[in-house]
Formats: sequence, C-alpha cells, structure tokens
Amino acid sequence: MAVEAHELTKDYKYGFHDADISVFRTEKGLSEAVVAAISDHKHEPEWMLRFRLKALAHFQKRAMPAWGADLSGIDFDNIYYYVKPVEEQSRSWDDVPASIKETFDKLGIPEAERKFLAGVSAQYDSEVVYHNIREDLGKLGVVFGDCDTGLREHPEIFRKYFGTVIPPNDNKFAALNSAVWSGGSFVYVPAGVRVDIPLQAYFRINSDNMGQFERTLIIAEEGAYVHYIEGCTAPNYSSDSLHSAVVEIIAHKDAHVRYTTIQNWSDNVYNLVTKRAVAYQGAKVEWIDGNLGSKVTMKYPAIYLMGEHAHGEVLSAAFAGPGQHQDAGAKCIHVAPHTTSNIVSRSISKGGGRTSYRGHIKVYPKAEDVRVNVRCDALLLDEDSQSDTYPYMDVENPEVTIGHEATVSRVGEDQIFYLMSRGIPEQDATALIVNGFFEPFVKELPMEYAVELNRLLAVQMEGSVG
Amino acid sequence: MSIQLPIAGAVGAAAVEARRAGAPAWLAERRSAAWEAFTELPMPSPQRDEDWRRTDVSELRLEEYIADPGTAAAGEALLQAMSQLRLRAAPEAAFVASTRRGLRRREGTDMLDAQGVIICSLDDAAVQHPEQLRRALSTVPPEESKFLALWNALWRGGCFVYVPPGVEARVPVWAAHTAAGAGAAIFPATVAVLDDRASLTLIDVYASPAGDDDMVSVAATPLVLGEGARLDYCLLQQWGMGTWHVATHRASAGRDARLRFFGATLGARLQKAYWEVLLDGQGAEATLTGICFGDGAQHLDHQSLQDHRAPQTRSDLLLKVAVRDEARSIYGGLIEVQRRAQQSDGYVQNRNLMLSRGARASGIPRLEIKADDVRCSHGVTAGHIDNDQRFYLESRGVPRAEADRLIVRGFMQDALDRCPHQGVRELLTELLDEEIAGHPVAGVSSDEDVA
Repeated sequence: MAVEAHELTKDYKYGFHDADISVFRTEKGLSEAVVAAISDHKHEPEWMLRFRLKALAHFQKRAMPAWGADLSGIDFDNIYYYVKPVEEQSRSWDDVPASIKETFDKLGIPEAERKFLAGVSAQYDSEVVYHNIREDLGKLGVVFGDCDTGLREHPEIFRKYFGTVIPPNDNKFAALNSAVWSGGSFVYVPAGVRVDIPLQAYFRINSDNMGQFERTLIIAEEGAYVHYIEGCTAPNYSSDSLHSAVVEIIAHKDAHVRYTTIQNWSDNVYNLVTKRAVAYQGAKVEWIDGNLGSKVTMKYPAIYLMGEHAHGEVLSAAFAGPGQHQDAGAKCIHVAPHTTSNIVSRSISKGGGRTSYRGHIKVYPKAEDVRVNVRCDALLLDEDSQSDTYPYMDVENPEVTIGHEATVSRVGEDQIFYLMSRGIPEQDATALIVNGFFEPFVKELPMEYAVELNRLLAVQMEGSVG
Repeated sequence: MSIQLPIAGAVGAAAVEARRAGAPAWLAERRSAAWEAFTELPMPSPQRDEDWRRTDVSELRLEEYIADPGTAAAGEALLQAMSQLRLRAAPEAAFVASTRRGLRRREGTDMLDAQGVIICSLDDAAVQHPEQLRRALSTVPPEESKFLALWNALWRGGCFVYVPPGVEARVPVWAAHTAAGAGAAIFPATVAVLDDRASLTLIDVYASPAGDDDMVSVAATPLVLGEGARLDYCLLQQWGMGTWHVATHRASAGRDARLRFFGATLGARLQKAYWEVLLDGQGAEATLTGICFGDGAQHLDHQSLQDHRAPQTRSDLLLKVAVRDEARSIYGGLIEVQRRAQQSDGYVQNRNLMLSRGARASGIPRLEIKADDVRCSHGVTAGHIDNDQRFYLESRGVPRAEADRLIVRGFMQDALDRCPHQGVRELLTELLDEEIAGHPVAGVSSDEDVA
C-alpha cells in the first residue's frame, strides 16, 4: 500500500491573532542600544546588563551552526527583540485585558480549569501578563512567577543559578537569548516540598516578526518534587518568527523535576531552544518533549548526571508535516558513577516533512556502572517525507551498559489490513496506528494535554491515506 | 628565517613528476590536478569537519614523509614475510605485492590468466586497460578530500584486477601492500572491476614490520561490480603501531550485484577508514562486516556508508570492536536511502566491548531516509565483560585470562563467521587470540629495516 501524500488541512487551528496592542517595543534588529533599552525598561541591576552585553558580543562573534536544520531563512535584522503588551503585571484575572482573555479562551484555558492548576503563568508576547499561585503553595515557600520578577524579588537565589547550567557562550542561540531574554518562568521549590499539581504556563507569540526569548529557571532543593508544564501555540503570520528560549533546571539531592512541553508553533516559526538540567545525587529529571508545530525546530533537552544514582529520562515525540523540519532529540551526560538514563523518541514525517533525531550520550571516565538505553522509532507516511537519526555515543568508562536502537519504517500494510478487515476505514486505521505509535509519549501527559494532543494529531492525520 | 629544502623523495611535486613520467596523458593530467587539489585543500580539522571531530590529524605533516626511498630499500625479506602470510591463509591465491617502489611480486596467476582475468599493476592498467581503470578511478575523485587527492597524485604499483563478463575467478587474488622504515609514506592501491556476472574473491592486506616506526599510509580501493557480479572482499589492516593510516574503500554495485565486504582492523597508531558501498543498481546487495581490536594508544576510526540509490537494495553492516588499555575506537556510519530506492532494507549494528579503564569507544550510526517503503534500523551497544560469565567460567576451573579470552572470542565470533574466505577466517582467529592474550599483532615479522 502506498500512502499518498496529501496536503495537510491548511487551517491552523489556533491561527487567529489579535490586533496588536503592544505598549512598548524596541526597534527592529539587534544592537547594544536595543539590549540596553530592554535592560533599562525592566530596571535591571547592573550585573544583568553586563551579562546581556557580554552575551550579545558572543552572539555577534559566533558563527551559525554548520549542522542541523537549514536556518538560512532567519533575518536577525528584521526581528523585534522586545515587545511588552501591557503596562503592569496583572494581579488578578479581572485585570487581564479582554482581548488577551479571549486569546486564552480560544486556547482552551477556561477559568474553571484554573482552580485545578497550581498557578497559571501565561506568557503573552514577551512579558508574563498573568500568574496566579495557589495560596498554600506560597505558604510552603514555593515561588512560581515570571523570570523578571524572580530577578527582582529573589535576587540572591536568582543570581546564584541563572546562567550556570547554560552559559551564554554555550551556543549561538543561547547567547542570543541571554542578550535579549524576557519573561519565562522562575520556579523555586524549597527542600522537602512536593508540589502535587503541575505548574503550567502558556506561551504565545502575537506580534508579527517578533522573536520570543523567554528564559526559564527551575530550582528544586533537596527532596523536592515539581512538575512544570509549558504549552506553546502561536498564531499564523506571513513572515517568519523566531523563538529561542533557554530553560535551566537544577535538581538538588534526591529532587525530582519533570518538565513537559508540547510545542505547536505555527509553521513559520524557527524554534531554536536550549534546555538543560543538572541532576545531583539521587535526583531524577524528566523531559517530556513534544514537537508538532514550527517551521524548523532544533531542540535537544539535556541532562547532566552530576551525582551518584541520578537518573535522567527523555521522552520525545515529533511530527513533521509539509515544509516542517523537526530536528529534536536528547542528551544525557553521565559525569558521576551509578547513574542511569533512558531516552525514547518517536517521530512521524508526512507530506514532505522531515524529522531528525539527534542525540548524545557521553560517559565520563569516572562514571562507572552507568546504564543507558536509547530507543528511536520513526514512521514515514509517504514517499516525499524524510527521517534521519544522528545518535552520538561517547563512552570513556568500561563499566557501562549502553544500548541504542533505531528503526525507520512505514505504517505496515498488514497492520492496516488487519484493522480494515475488522471494518475500520483505512483513514481511521492509519490514525489508530499513529496514535498507538505515540502512545508511550501520550500516556505520560496530564489528561487534558493527552486529549489535546490526540485532537491535534487527528487534525494532522486528516487526508493522509489515499 | 630558515628555508626548508625539500627532503629527497618526500611527498611533494617532485614525487608527482616522477609518476607522471611515462604515464599516459590522461593519467599524467589527473595526477597534476590531484596534486593541485591536495595543495589547495586544508587538512581536516576537528573543529571544522564533523566526521573528523573525534580524530585529530592536525599533527600529521604529510610533506615530511618519504614517498620514494630510492633503490637502496630493497624489501626482499619483507615481501617474503607478506608471501608467508598469504601461504598461511590462502596458498591457492594469486599473489600481487607492492612496496613504495611499485609492483614487486606477481605469482601464481596462471589459472586466472587462463580464465582471461587481468591482474597487473595500476601503472600497467593505465596503459593496457585504461577504460576499466578510469571507470574505477572515477569513483574516487581527487577533489573530494585532501587524502584522496594525495592518493590520486602519488599511488604507485598496486593491484588492478579485471574479471571479464560471466567469468568466475577460480582462485582468490591476494594483494599485499607493505613498507618499512621511519618516515615512509605509502599509497596502497587496489582496484577491482568485475564485469557483468563475474565473480571474484579479493584479499587486501596492509602490513609493515612490528614496532612503532613513524609511517604514513594513504590508501584507496575503488571496487566496481557490474550487473549480477559477485565480489568477496577481505581486508586485513596490520600496520605497525607507529603508522598513520587513512583509507577509502568504496564499492559501487550494479543491478543484482552482491558484495561481501569483510574488514579486520588490528594495526596502526591512528586509522581513519571509510568503508562505503554505493548500491547503484536495482536489487544490489551488500554485507559489510568488521572486527577491530585496539590496544596500547591506538586510535581506530571507521566510517561506513550504505548508500541506497536504487529500488530493492539491501545492506547489512556489523562492526565488532574491542578496546583495551588507552585505545580509542570511533565508529561513524550512515545509511542513506534515496527517494527512488523503495523497498530497500538497511541495517547497522555496532557492538563495543570495553576491556579496561582508559579505553574509549564512540558510536555514531546515522540514518537519512527519503523513501517510505523501506526498513532501516541500527543498534549500538557498549559494554564490558560480564562478571557473571567470568564467574561461571572461573567456577569451572577456567583461569581468568583464559576465561576472558573465551569471552572476547565469543563476542567476536558472529562477525568472524561472516568472513567469506575460510583461510582468512582461520588466520584472523589466530591473530585475534594473540591480541587477546596481550601480544599485539600489529605488523608482521621481518628483519627488514627499510622498504
């Protein structure tokens, strides 16, 4: 059976956008003046301005990556690096401008749902416009706010960790983010505190040609637990947008941090994100990373296993439709002995889309008794699509057990036949198989996300069988 | 400021001129162009070139090595040692041996001569069979890389084999390449062209005296398989522990052709070897198998390519690597399936056995799949000797050293089993046993100092 290439349903479900209501934005392009204006506008301390300028210098010096996806379409001079939509940070839902509320409604965040959420911090353009922390969490000393407020209100903790996991000179896009970052989440969980309900933030891009450079910093003290969820969806625009985030996680002794993302940027967005966690003794870090949208995504959530018995887990799912390239993966760097990691990647390419798994496993000489398992599976739904696997594995200690496996295949004729022989139409059969293929990922999501993801996949799969 | 004078016989323009003299015009021209490309191309850099990130040759000064040793270096004893190796593994084989001075031995070819199989040096082939040689050389263009450029400029002698249509070569061809002496530069060349439905077993051996003389070997092996052709290719790399070795083995397989490629990497201080198969014709099939044992400070890098360019092509690679002491193994592989190569099947398996602290292994098996009706997969593992296995054997009275030997042998066995020539398989089993027992077998025994 040849699965024919069909155009995806062209309607981008969340492709609405509001009239531009920004109240402050820098001029297009990047310069020391723009960076200084951002810092000044935010009334930042001197050290942050210096940090930003140093990062800018590095960004300007650093060459574009010579590997990975095609980034030649990015015009750095044609991007707004900072846009602030409303004057003041909202304190309650009532203060949020009506047009923004509408956006959230379209995104399906009913007010009622907020009751179930520990706090909602929704990033609208560059500035967090709304966040709400459940009172009891506040009493436990849990901080959940935007990163700018974190810098202002928790300067000591902030400065101690900020930029330590991902230094500005890590890569060109981390440098860019470090120079112009704005918004994102700041999460601090004190020792022994378990945050039972996921902390959620919705990120949005709204202005044409506006880059979004949010910065997230999560610190879990000894024995703490937190699950952070970031969902992304962006309106359609005619010209390309750039999203370049930096996410840093510090999991102290025996802490457990889970970070869930479903990225569904509209298909003109360059999504170039650096995400990295450090896991100390006995800590556990999980990245649950779904990539459905964007034109180009380059994102490889990393875990540095720094202490004995630390564990890392990356669960990655990617879907690339027409014109999309999902270059996603995972890195697990084993620095300490008795550490373990597990990577599972599932990707689907359709209608000329391209998915690439790019991963790195490194075991340092002193890291004995390390166990690693990597499993990558890719499905190709038609003959125009492409799937790549680029796993890097460097082992410098003999006492290891490492396995990596990857397969690329198409939806099996016999699977389809089996389902069709039981009266299931071909299209539904394909959708079922695709859903089953993503199952290891979907089952790790909170229910509302699982529902939304399945709905999105159903939309993507429409007309995929000829 | 001192002016560096060229060393007599060194890698340089004079050496190219020496090879242009007497060569047909097309070859003389090709060598000049190749030398020009060599001088223009930069050395591969770990910073700039992705597939050289883990293998650093920036300290290698190619122009300081001697390509032309003059007449003093005879190498008779070394050639004798190479011949002995052949007699041990494949006494039936026709024997062709080259040193830096060119083709030195051509023995036992009667049966193949009678079949119309052509066996000669590349220099002779350039004059007598230029079309076949050019066909093969076109797959290893000089402008592709610094090392291929140098090889194209400076190869000498070597082994050219042409098997006419429908001819099944009755005995194998054994091509030996050898050199000796600190500062030696050799450019081994083995070329095989199998016409339609022809078949051949080709055994390619690189070796130098045991020891750690600083030498360089830049090799290329273009192999061309016509429609329905069958080639069994066995490669034994056994350079001394001081040799830098960069080699490109590239086979192109026509419709329904079948290649069995088997390589053993035992020697060299640093190796960068490309094992590539281009499946050009529908239904072409290739198995690639490698065993590699690294010890001391060896740095052994294999890069494989399985390029599926036509429908219904199949490839299967298995590389078994054991590293001990401070040795380091790099494996980079790519399965590429082009859009028109539907119903293709590609497989890669790389298994690494880490035998001591300080040993390192990297595995980078890549897939680039542009056709949907395919099956492609790969697996990489790294592990160490399982204490349970060791305990099991020790508890039955097997001494520890012997237990480890058995375990490593067991690890290598399925790869060894895929060696298409029985005599070579037995030779390799013995060499491997010596390696495991701690007697590195890089290099051959010879009293020769220079060759």
